[in-house]
Amino acid sequence: MRSSIKRAAFGAVVLAGLVATAASIAMAHHGFAVFDTTSQKTIVGTVKEFQWTNPHTWVWLDVPNDKGGIDTWGFEGMSPNFLGRRGWSRNTLKPGDKITVTYFALKDGSKGGAFLSFKRPNGEELSMWKGSPTEDN
Amino acid sequence: MFRPGTMLRAVAILALASAIAASTAIAQGFKRPAPTAADWAALAKLPDFTGVWEISMGPRPATGIINPAIGVPSMRPPQISLTPDYAAKRQALLASAEQDNQSANCLPPGMPGIMSQPYPMEFLLTPGQVTIVIEAYSMVRHIYADGRPLPDDPDPNFFGTSIGHWEGDTLVVESVGFSTQTEIEPHVPHSDKMRILEKFRLVDPNTMSIETTVTDPEALTAPYVTSRFLKRHRSWTIAEYICEQNNRNFVDKSGKAGINLTPPSDTSPAPKQ
Repeated sequence: MRSSIKRAAFGAVVLAGLVATAASIAMAHHGFAVFDTTSQKTIVGTVKEFQWTNPHTWVWLDVPNDKGGIDTWGFEGMSPNFLGRRGWSRNTLKPGDKITVTYFALKDGSKGGAFLSFKRPNGEELSMWKGSPTEDN
Repeated sequence: MFRPGTMLRAVAILALASAIAASTAIAQGFKRPAPTAADWAALAKLPDFTGVWEISMGPRPATGIINPAIGVPSMRPPQISLTPDYAAKRQALLASAEQDNQSANCLPPGMPGIMSQPYPMEFLLTPGQVTIVIEAYSMVRHIYADGRPLPDDPDPNFFGTSIGHWEGDTLVVESVGFSTQTEIEPHVPHSDKMRILEKFRLVDPNTMSIETTVTDPEALTAPYVTSRFLKRHRSWTIAEYICEQNNRNFVDKSGKAGINLTPPSDTSPAPKQ
């Protein structure tokens, strides 16, 4: 438990570094104005669909609500171009996968956010913000 | 029998036709001769720029390379010295309610921003030309290195018009003719007089240095110089990047950023009874 908190904290540091780096390299597609980047949240649900598309991947997550129904949440991820070189594929997430998503919430409270990482019930974790790709020159 | 009016008309038509021919010749410009076997062989003597390259990212973005000629690249853009007019324009942009720029609507950045995207680019060398295939927004830059001059009055566009030549192992590229829709850096506008000088060279077998100097007599009081390093990835290929495929981000006319959260199938399960 403690180690996962540590990992999450480390993830936040790496992410902050990457956001700073991205800001000085170039914003590839859009800024973070709509997201609350001051804190990370988590949510548990079932993958409804994983869109492996540009300019962003999207994870659509079915989440039980407090009225006994199900809401579909949308999480925007890094592009397939970026993720495909860092250990992800279009089959990384499949409909029916039960996952815990760590994300930056939308400031307006809508059901969605910026996808940061996910964890499976068996403890497997994968981040969208891994560092440099492997050197292969 | 020709009447004087007919004669005049014929002269006028001829003059018009030759004017059109002349302007077409300017637009068509330089005619590159067909490459010879020697031209192809000469490519082998140039530095090996082939393959796919990406700006180093992550915890060690600068890769620790120290080159006395260009120094250690800073991850923070250097100070930009703007003329009073353009400093005021920049302040107005910063003070506006704009939360994002038009790339959120899939408008690609032009020069110089397209060269600092967090996506790779591929260099292709053919006789008289260097072509840069840019993954971000699936863009292409054409650098003519066949002796043609820069155009005198180019149409303004996102990438400008680029000509290049080799100075030893360095590819030197000059570009002119930029649309004022592009920016030097986010919220830093430029005039249509902007010129960009780029120097590409290998600092080790798999590291390319790009030094970029932006000048603009109307917007800048000093050249704006940035440098960056790209790493070669021999196992990579350029992927497509169709921004309109599934763009859910937008910035509206007032500058407010937003996001479209309509699920792809729009068939959310019905609430359980």
